[in-house]
Amino acid sequence: MTTEEARLPTRQLIQPDVPTFDRRTLKPEARDAVTGLLLTMADDEFVLGFWDSEWTGIAPLLEEDVAFSSLAQDEIGHARVWYEMIAQLTGDGADRLAFHREPKEFRHARLLDHPRTDWAFSIARRWLYDTADSVRLAALAASSFEPLRQIVGKVVREERYHLMHMDAWMRRLAGHDGEPRQRLEAALAALAPDALSVFTPLPGEERLIDAGLLSAPMAELSDRWRSEVGGLLKELGLPAMPDGRPSADGRDHSNPSDSFRWLWGEFTSVARLEEGVQW
Amino acid sequence: MSREETTGPLNQPAPPVAEGRLDEAGRLGEGARSDVFEVFRQEKDGDPMRHAGNVTAPDIELATHYAREFYSRRQESVRLWVVPRTEITDLSDPDLLQPPLDRMFKKPGGYVMRDKLDVAKKRAAAEKK
Repeated sequence: MTTEEARLPTRQLIQPDVPTFDRRTLKPEARDAVTGLLLTMADDEFVLGFWDSEWTGIAPLLEEDVAFSSLAQDEIGHARVWYEMIAQLTGDGADRLAFHREPKEFRHARLLDHPRTDWAFSIARRWLYDTADSVRLAALAASSFEPLRQIVGKVVREERYHLMHMDAWMRRLAGHDGEPRQRLEAALAALAPDALSVFTPLPGEERLIDAGLLSAPMAELSDRWRSEVGGLLKELGLPAMPDGRPSADGRDHSNPSDSFRWLWGEFTSVARLEEGVQW
Repeated sequence: MSREETTGPLNQPAPPVAEGRLDEAGRLGEGARSDVFEVFRQEKDGDPMRHAGNVTAPDIELATHYAREFYSRRQESVRLWVVPRTEITDLSDPDLLQPPLDRMFKKPGGYVMRDKLDVAKKRAAAEKK
């Protein structure tokens, strides 16, 4: 390898998933609103991907270990796509967004603030989140912003399998009386108060809807989600998710939780070794 | 299910079941079973299905998910077949597959054509004249 080659960023070797687009096709206010929406989606996927990657090497079955790690990688891959789209919209950098923000600048839902905990907890959290994500993606499937619509079409196809995989585990844990079911019930009870946080109302939400970028307000999506999860919960004899609407502070990390501070310390540990270095 | 049973009729040693993990995690509940599923994959449309390997899973649903992650997560397959190993009929009896008597006459190579071909060529040449 020549010195010249060594300087080339590795990223250029990867086929870009985000098509090059002209950001001026969006009015500045709509652009800000889309950026805000994308940041919530990117941070959700990124943070969940890191929590779930912690199961690598310690999952309950070898095959599940590989599969669950692969799902976690998929989420980080989705985050990469959303960060890159934000980067094109704002002139920011995907790596900076992922690894060089302070904990308080993250916008992931509070549901994803909990640590990995036990297997039932990770499965329950992932199932609640994947279902919410599928409702959110469906509301973007006909977005007026072409590059967003394109990526959503691809992401949905992967998320479908994630959800099937999680459904299988929900049935498995709920179907075995004793410890598996008890742990699942405890996990769902612990997560329920934060489950709606995925649908925290967004700044500029009306603009997104007026411009045809998003099909319905977050509060309405939260109702759809409740009925989606309600189906399997009822079938398995598990309590329904609580009524109510998402509160405004579900993505506020002005006072980051200890668990997220710890995770942030982990996932930025290499990037922070030397500021500004070229890998 | 015991280790012997998971070996199945193929007389192949089953891949090691991570018993330590099962016990330690203890999350599959009483009577947890780990079965072996053989996986076949098609690389592209029109190709034959080829044996890819196997996965150990508690049921066919998870086996399908694991097969997908193991044999197509890099988009290397267009189709997978996932088969419980216990459903495979094994035929490896040498009396049936490798009979002791000479079977040369069942192979095209069992016939010596060279001399016959020479005679036929000569006859054909003579008839032309």
